[in-house]
Amino acid sequence: MNPIIQPPKPRSNSSKRELLFTFQSIIVTGLLAFTAIAFFFHFDLRIEKGIKVVFAPFLSVVPLLFILSILRDLRKGFKEGNYTKDEIVKFCLITAGITAAFTGVTFLLSKIDALEILLAAIMAILSVVFFMRSKIKDILGMSIITGIAEGIIVYMIFLF
Amino acid sequence: MQLKKLNTAFIVTTGVSVIVFVYLVFLGFDEIKTLKDVVKIIASILFPLPMLFFVRFLLIEHFLPQNTDEYKLKHQKPATILLITSVVIGVLSMQAIEWVTGQKLEDHLVFAHLINSTTISSYVLNFVLYNNLRVNGILSGILLSLAMHVFFLTA
Repeated sequence: MNPIIQPPKPRSNSSKRELLFTFQSIIVTGLLAFTAIAFFFHFDLRIEKGIKVVFAPFLSVVPLLFILSILRDLRKGFKEGNYTKDEIVKFCLITAGITAAFTGVTFLLSKIDALEILLAAIMAILSVVFFMRSKIKDILGMSIITGIAEGIIVYMIFLF
Repeated sequence: MQLKKLNTAFIVTTGVSVIVFVYLVFLGFDEIKTLKDVVKIIASILFPLPMLFFVRFLLIEHFLPQNTDEYKLKHQKPATILLITSVVIGVLSMQAIEWVTGQKLEDHLVFAHLINSTTISSYVLNFVLYNNLRVNGILSGILLSLAMHVFFLTA
């Protein structure tokens, strides 16, 4: 007899972590798109040469694809068990640091006055995020991505 | 099953955030004048989400306690005490901040959004995933004090 409803597969902790990591990178992608749109409309960015806008993403996407194709995985993957207290403190500090750094980076992004440069910069950050997503599947990657997301949000709330 | 719960948690969190967002937008409709205000509000709504994902990532172990009568009985008293203390502390500190800075919370709706969305997200996450009654007490206290502050204590 073939059961119609498959019993749910037991999920390991590392696969749950991977799912959370994926969600987080989706959030960051959304936030970056949001930043681009908000800056574009708020600062009335001008487009100097249309052709530059078309080619801006390639600046970072092409090296990303090349690196992804030649590099092996840098990290061993997600841990199954719990993290120790020292690790948690360490990675929370890293996240806080990246948050502060990215608040600054977003501030720099707001100083850009041409759409094509903004697009190139956003695509470069996005490429970094995808690099983390596919090669640094680890708590380090997670804390960096969280830092990027929080940095953008902190800038938007308090400094924009 | 656990993954299903996880997904439910985030869907519920997002849903509640959206409802609160719509409500607060109606509430402060007059103050939204430029794109900048909209961006700020959206950012303050989104603020807790990456943090929650990160916390969940760290605390992956599922320690949902059995929701038995015994467990409830044991934590009833400390949870109630924590609720009352956090209400008192919340109201007092908000009054103190308003008094010290001489500004009203209504004039800075972004902060109300920020407290609200952060607390509600962690409330829902705690309720669905961890069911820690003491944390529940604290978070309920913060929400209650925010509500009391906005409804009764501001002229």
